[in-house]
Amino acid sequence: MSAVAPLITVDKVNKHFGPAHVLRDVCTHFNAGEVAVIIGSSGSGKSTLLRTLNRLEKHDSGAITIDGIPVDDSPKNLKALHAEVGMVFQQFNLFPHLTVLENVSLAPRRVRGLGLAEADQRSTALLERVGMQAHAHKYPFALSGGQQQRVAIARALAMQPRIMLFDEPTSALDPETVKEVLDVMKGLASSGMTMIVVTHEMGFAKEVADRVLYFDKGCILQDRPPKDFFDNQDNPRIRAFLGQIAN
Amino acid sequence: MATLRIGWPQRWTRKQRSQASIVMDSLILVAALWVAARIIAFAPEPIGSNAQFFADGTLMTVQLTVVSGVLGLVLGLLAALGKISRILPLRWLCSFYIWIIRGTPLLVQIFFVYFALPVIAKGTWLEEAMRVTEFTAAVLALSLNVGAYNAESFRAGLLAVPKGQFEAARSLGLGRWHTLVDITFPQAFKVALPPLVSNVVALLKDTSLAYNISVLELVNVGQRVQSRTFDPVPILITTALLYLIMTTLLTQITNGIERYYDIEGRIP
Repeated sequence: MSAVAPLITVDKVNKHFGPAHVLRDVCTHFNAGEVAVIIGSSGSGKSTLLRTLNRLEKHDSGAITIDGIPVDDSPKNLKALHAEVGMVFQQFNLFPHLTVLENVSLAPRRVRGLGLAEADQRSTALLERVGMQAHAHKYPFALSGGQQQRVAIARALAMQPRIMLFDEPTSALDPETVKEVLDVMKGLASSGMTMIVVTHEMGFAKEVADRVLYFDKGCILQDRPPKDFFDNQDNPRIRAFLGQIAN
Repeated sequence: MATLRIGWPQRWTRKQRSQASIVMDSLILVAALWVAARIIAFAPEPIGSNAQFFADGTLMTVQLTVVSGVLGLVLGLLAALGKISRILPLRWLCSFYIWIIRGTPLLVQIFFVYFALPVIAKGTWLEEAMRVTEFTAAVLALSLNVGAYNAESFRAGLLAVPKGQFEAARSLGLGRWHTLVDITFPQAFKVALPPLVSNVVALLKDTSLAYNISVLELVNVGQRVQSRTFDPVPILITTALLYLIMTTLLTQITNGIERYYDIEGRIP
């Protein structure tokens, strides 16, 4: 029972942007079905780690393995990796020239070779899941930020990934639309999806996360269950950070 | 000139309305060429009696524009992709092409293709291929010319596509080809359209330089009629008017294309 191999292992990963050393010997792992929330001040490397997981950033040294796939530049590995890992961005990055439905159905059609009818049917089901089926034929510009982000989640889910990465998914949203996105994410978490979420939403972390990772200067300073992290925080720097976020 | 717009049924979508406009404006252009001779025949002398001649010149100008325009778009897109490519020799080649073409006069380029290339090709395997008609030489020079300008318009469009679009495409597992065809190109084309239209309108007028290698296009027709009649005023007014009608019809079509891509409804 105990020896289940982790779904994602990150081993001594380093990353530099010019002179800036943004990831320093980062070691951690994530298990299947786990929801991990990564927090930390801006520039601490949390988004960079997330982006190295699906090769949007290349790590300089160390090794990342996802479900047995080494994260590197081999086209075969990249193909397998992108089938396994979905990503949701802070700025949504929906395709502005495509309708909501086309945004969701494009990748399954092009990458998986699904027919139009089947892709549309599956995409409609996904849009229902995120509560956006009524907007299927609108273009992204006509949607609110929260609606766009829900479409972006559906779009990532359309490739049936085992892992979903969220890079500050609510940071660009109006306060009143944050909840609808978090609700979709909570639904996803309770369905057993493996999720790694970079966020400043402490409520979400407390309620949904299995682990909270605190990033500081390119290192994981702390990795604890949320209850322990928020209620019994003994590190003065993290306490100061949490105090600032709360206000 | 303000665009003439037809009130297509409101229940049609924006795409359907713009497609209808594109089709209708293209048909108008074809019809105008079809009946040109019969309409010009009503003009006073010395135009009326040379109506068929003017109509033929107009048709030649349109042919030069359409053939060079299409080739120039393909060339422009390829050169733009080459100039932002990761492959250094390709970048170098495309920059060189754009540099030469934009830095030299079109008339010199036309003369070069027509007079110099056959001399250069003499004795090589290209000798036969370079012995071309005036029309082919003009098309070659014009498409190379407009291609260089189109390349910069396309490049502007390609560079305007936000980085996040590529990241989203990549994270979905879309390959390079699908990213280009489905994501990058449609967005880049929309941005590049207004400058591309300028290039094609300029091309239409620049086809008049083919006069210099004896292509029987509109200006050439006018000059031949003038050399017989010594009546420059009506001839040049007719020539100018025919160009104006052609550029107007052309921009009507391109306005339809711009509307087709205007998803947000930003064009009033």
